[in-house]
Amino acid sequence: MLATIVDWKTLGEVALYSLLAGVGVTMAFSFAIVGATRMVDMRRQRRGVEAGAYAALLIIGLVVAGAAVVFGVIIMTTK
Amino acid sequence: MSSDVTLIIVIATALAFDFTNGFHDTANVVATSISTRALSPRLAVGLAAILNFAGAFISLEVAATVAKGIVDADAITPTIVFAGLIGAIAWNLITWYFGLPSSSSHALIGGVVGSMIAAVGTSAVDGDSLLAKVAVPALVAPVVAFSVAGIAILVAYRIVGRLRPGPVNRGFRLGQVVSGGMLALAHGTNDAQKTMGIITLALIAHGNIAADDFHVPTWVVVSSASAIALGTYSGGWRIIRTMGSRIIKMDTAQGFSAQGAGAAVILASSHFGYPLSTTHVISGGVMGAGAARRLSAVKWGVAGNMIVAWILTIPMAGAIGGLAYGLTRIFGTGALGPVVVSILCLGLIAAVFGRRLQRGSVITAGAGS
Repeated sequence: MLATIVDWKTLGEVALYSLLAGVGVTMAFSFAIVGATRMVDMRRQRRGVEAGAYAALLIIGLVVAGAAVVFGVIIMTTK
Repeated sequence: MSSDVTLIIVIATALAFDFTNGFHDTANVVATSISTRALSPRLAVGLAAILNFAGAFISLEVAATVAKGIVDADAITPTIVFAGLIGAIAWNLITWYFGLPSSSSHALIGGVVGSMIAAVGTSAVDGDSLLAKVAVPALVAPVVAFSVAGIAILVAYRIVGRLRPGPVNRGFRLGQVVSGGMLALAHGTNDAQKTMGIITLALIAHGNIAADDFHVPTWVVVSSASAIALGTYSGGWRIIRTMGSRIIKMDTAQGFSAQGAGAAVILASSHFGYPLSTTHVISGGVMGAGAARRLSAVKWGVAGNMIVAWILTIPMAGAIGGLAYGLTRIFGTGALGPVVVSILCLGLIAAVFGRRLQRGSVITAGAGS
């Protein structure tokens, strides 16, 4: 009976997208923290190229996490 | 005249429920931020209150979905709604008293189902809908959030594990301000609308709004947003303590993962039109973030108490709602019943709060700051 009254397909989609978004945002933000921390370290050691690479990692991480936040607000406003 | 009084009481009771909803669910939004010291307690509840208020204006898509499809909409009367609200408020206050996070939405559904059964009988309740729309999601929500937060924290530890703790903690604290803000906005859009829907339905039943012209009046939006924001600002400190430090002792990465997972699950469920309880999601996220590091880090006794409270929410709010309806009907079908029950409830609430004030609060706004 449970199999027929519960919308398992939607439930599965909720679980899958939650996993992708939750883990994805945490991963992106963690990389942003790595980028920020290492960039400061490299600058102190006057290693410009590495500092630039870590700055790029910081920016990419923040852009991905920021995009997720914007997408979240769009979901709220359009539901 | 009598129906006017009943309408005013229903609106006041709906706003009182909205206040308890904010008060009770503050913990969902702020507990992890306070526990990891990402924000001071007063700043955290202040920010959550503002975002709850703003969230209530973001979308008015509806509003009237509470108990929709679960109870027979044609049989609903203002007295049934009133009794259901009493059941929900009572259960929110009982669980607050014991510091247990439980779903305000489930309390409201339980209250309305209980008062409906008392008024009309079980034929007015769709058991299959109750199972599909409430019971199954209640089981699924914490499991999904638990898994997402658990995997997320393992990924986070793997990535930042070799860094100095100082910058990592500062980074995740900053992230928590944003993830907590998202949760507060989502809470405002979801929960304030339930009250708007209930008040609008009462206005339709009373004839103030035509049934074929469903719209939420501006004063209803403003008053509902204000009530939930005021409740949030009042801060349910007992539940904040349970959520923030009694389930697990969190570090900043765990706090961020729990909130991030919570926001992801809530927004994904909103996107697919599969509403899940904010409370169940965040609690599951907090437990997942703790258990992934070390199973014994989670105080399973506290978690068990919470799960018992979740299981009891619908039957208990329903029983109280049914009882409130029966008590109301003793005084006839007019406004006297709701007036007497309201006075009785206010007396009980004053007595409980009086006792709490005499004992002193569990934690205060200054704690942890």
